[in-house]
Amino acid sequence: MISLDILKKIAADGLEYIRTQHDILDAEIFISSLSHLLCRINYTSHIPCNGIEEPKSTLSYGIGVQVVFKEGNGKRTGFGNYTGDISVEGIKDSIEKARLSVVEDPDFYGLPAPSEPPLLQPEYHDKQLMNIGDEELVDLGWRGLTGSLNTLNDHDISESVIVGGDISIIQERMALSSTKGIMAWDEAAYASASITTMIESDNAKGSGWEIGMKLGSLAPEKAGKDAAMSAINSRHGRRLPSGSYKLILGPQPVADLLGNIVLPSLTLSVVDAASSTFLKKYGRMVSDRRISIRDNGSMRELPMSRRYTCEGLATGQTELISNGVLVGYLSNNYYRNKVLNDPSARDKIGADTASIEKAFLPHNGFRPGESMMRNFMGRPSIVPTNVVVDASEAIDPDDLIKVVGNGIYIGRIWYTYPINGLLAGDFTCTVIGDSYIIEDGKIAAPLKPNSIRIADNIHNLLNQVIGITAIHKPVILWGSPEVIYSPEIAVYDISLHSIGE
Amino acid sequence: MLDVVSNIKNLVEESFNASARSLQGCHYADIRIDVSDMRWASAEDGKPKGAGRDECGSFGIRVIAGNGKKAPGYYGRIFSLKDLNNINSLIKEGLVHAHNRAFANSIKKERLTSTFERFGKSLWGTELSPTDVNRDTVPAVCKTDPRTISPQDILLLAEDTSKRVKGLSGIQFNDITVYTQSMGELFASTDGALIDQYFTYTQGNVYVVAAGKEGHQELYEYIGDQRGWEVISEGVNVQGVNLLDFSKRVAEDALALSDAKPFRSTEKEVVVVTDPYFNTLLSHEIIGHPMEADRVLKYETAYAGRSWLFRNFNENYLGKQVASPLITTYSDPSLPGYGHYVYDHEGTKGKKVMHIERGILKEFMNSRQTASLLGVAPNGSYTATDASFVPLIRMSTTVFAPGTSDPKMIIGDISDGYYLWGMHTPSISESRENFTISAIKTYKIHRGEIKELYRGGGVSADSMSFLMSVDAVGNDFKIYPIANCGKGQPMQTKRLGNGGPTLRGRARVSGSSGK
Repeated sequence: MISLDILKKIAADGLEYIRTQHDILDAEIFISSLSHLLCRINYTSHIPCNGIEEPKSTLSYGIGVQVVFKEGNGKRTGFGNYTGDISVEGIKDSIEKARLSVVEDPDFYGLPAPSEPPLLQPEYHDKQLMNIGDEELVDLGWRGLTGSLNTLNDHDISESVIVGGDISIIQERMALSSTKGIMAWDEAAYASASITTMIESDNAKGSGWEIGMKLGSLAPEKAGKDAAMSAINSRHGRRLPSGSYKLILGPQPVADLLGNIVLPSLTLSVVDAASSTFLKKYGRMVSDRRISIRDNGSMRELPMSRRYTCEGLATGQTELISNGVLVGYLSNNYYRNKVLNDPSARDKIGADTASIEKAFLPHNGFRPGESMMRNFMGRPSIVPTNVVVDASEAIDPDDLIKVVGNGIYIGRIWYTYPINGLLAGDFTCTVIGDSYIIEDGKIAAPLKPNSIRIADNIHNLLNQVIGITAIHKPVILWGSPEVIYSPEIAVYDISLHSIGE
Repeated sequence: MLDVVSNIKNLVEESFNASARSLQGCHYADIRIDVSDMRWASAEDGKPKGAGRDECGSFGIRVIAGNGKKAPGYYGRIFSLKDLNNINSLIKEGLVHAHNRAFANSIKKERLTSTFERFGKSLWGTELSPTDVNRDTVPAVCKTDPRTISPQDILLLAEDTSKRVKGLSGIQFNDITVYTQSMGELFASTDGALIDQYFTYTQGNVYVVAAGKEGHQELYEYIGDQRGWEVISEGVNVQGVNLLDFSKRVAEDALALSDAKPFRSTEKEVVVVTDPYFNTLLSHEIIGHPMEADRVLKYETAYAGRSWLFRNFNENYLGKQVASPLITTYSDPSLPGYGHYVYDHEGTKGKKVMHIERGILKEFMNSRQTASLLGVAPNGSYTATDASFVPLIRMSTTVFAPGTSDPKMIIGDISDGYYLWGMHTPSISESRENFTISAIKTYKIHRGEIKELYRGGGVSADSMSFLMSVDAVGNDFKIYPIANCGKGQPMQTKRLGNGGPTLRGRARVSGSSGK
């Protein structure tokens, strides 16, 4: 990792250079250094294996520069980047690339002006996590595996065992300077342990996961233990016939549906492309009134919190759905300005955009890439940070099972896709583990993994709510940077198809 | 800039091997280096949105080390062309990290083996199956080198195409993104392999939203091939169409679908005919993925899933019938398109891997390590998206083999059924034993003729039941690109090829929720 002092110095020196360039009206320099360390587990009791398959890391760093060039009486914008070189020379090269790829984008209304100071104070991250060594990384992986194996051993289970998953550490540093007067910098690190345990002969699959801001408090062995316990409890699952069911969606399915269907539809660029399932829904009920959803990238104790966005603006909270009503969108500076200046936006939003400026707060202008948010190779897009689902009139988890009476607790789904594009709202996903049949208000038996597919519409799911718990379990989705803090949500009359009979 | 690879290869080999051999308990090491030049542009609703160019390099190192049970360790990073004077020092630094990790891994493996009497039995010392030690250079195939195309050239084409799509009545939104890329790769190992390979990739993405009588319809499709700018400008690609004609076709389909009624699911199995474009996703999801030996051996249990074809060494379908005798499937890196290569990323020459031959399960795609576990020869299927990532077992071009039937006759023989055209979205069980794959267009077939168009239809079936039900295989074999197959942690998005001919079988046709 390149030090923060170097990133800050080069961002400042680069800005001095830009000020000497007469054809440049404005510019923004973004510099980042990123590392992803990962220890991947693969243990199989019945097939020779390494236990820890991949202790590894990827390191990248570079520069991305957005430049507004003078051209006659008009202006044109260009983006250039340089990979693997953090120097003023790298900035000069990036500017030349920007110069060779200028466009006249009528929807570009200028680089952002400085925002209020950030809510987060510097050095909110864990220095130990930022400086973890090779042996410590390997140790975390074996601790996660041992957590699972100890638990299985205690239950005298040693045959047909699979333990997979990983311990992952994200390290990010960035500095941003712009001719608009922004000088922003940030460094962050967090770790996660995500473990799956199977007792394959019993068709039993369990998950466990932990997310931590501090190396000292990360407990991969607990994720391993939780995964093993869940697998033990889900042995010899039963099948259910196709039909309409009452479901309790656990934190992972709630997060998966949010991450794949709901949050993309609340993203301003998707609404602008007329492909959101919430087209023309601003100010209207889009879910049960007990559901509220917000994005908050500025809370110290949450892993995806950062001081600044990748546009140099302070992070903050964006209300998305409040008591069932759509009240805001995930946005960056570019799309905020585009929507506020586009007369046709009213038809997509469903309201006069000038009167609801606060619905388009530019809190989510990040540059995503491989589970991270600070990728110098591209311009800012719109990325959720920490997404929190709140419940009013929350119910205790045990009471929720009683209220449902007869139905299914769904603990883990995958392959969640909108069937016919986001707009239609139809989706499908497959239940792959951690799930139980509820009978007479009690957990009666495990549900056989891979025996049920959910196929319904997201609007049904958001509105046919029985009850919600108050828990906020953090979930990271495979391949996505955001962390979703999910409750359990019980819904009724959801279509399930029995598969694989 | 791709000359960089050929210029540094001998120096890197010498320095890397000398450094690796000096490390304590190092049994094997390899290095992969790639250097890439990519140019791109995009336009939206006829307006220019962006353009750019990036050159960068990356490398990845694997070390297998240990004084007891051997274990692997890895390291990956990017570098700039300005780092070339210093490349050996960067590589040495990476080698030390990879070795530290491998060595620590080996010590922990020994410790766990002694802690758990029963669990420790399956912890092996890492072995790689022997492979030929290849030393070779493989040039790229292209007519118009991507490095001769400027971002402004690309922008002009994207903007013009986007304007023309916008001009079609009923189109609400469109986005056209085009990129063209040159890439050089180097592989060197302590076994003595030294291979440099060169590639070109060019792709055009088309996203449209149309409005019609039945509401909005969005479509996202792409053309792409492992060639130069001719992919976009002249239609020299496996799909045989240029960007402009392709974009118009996508827009016209979106318009037709926006006027079509949503499909309502069938209660029972019906006769389904699926076209080569639909079978591209079918071959990807239910043939290619479960044939990857890392899934077979459970490496992907926590992520991309296992394979229904292999429970363990005693319970599996190898040598058994899993499909109709009309079905033959294979992966073949010698086929054209995104899946083409000569050597994989551990230096093994890519071979045609026969998965299902006349209905009988034969062979999985593998790596040197998984080949060693399965007791077979490596078949060159171990590739990474870029050199900084650890390779995974990946499809090259995985297809259904062509049959002998005329596709018109396949449809003409049916009194009632459905014809599903084009790949849309998949939903798959974790071991790929069951699937729902939606099509772009679903047509009713009545008395041997294609009738009404519906949107949102898809095939739902158990994989083996569907494969066994196939009673006609067309002679219209076609390959399509898959631009974004995700696998691994962190997820690697990979380009590869899939395809096949028209197939006829039995399945439920799923549709909209109907609520």
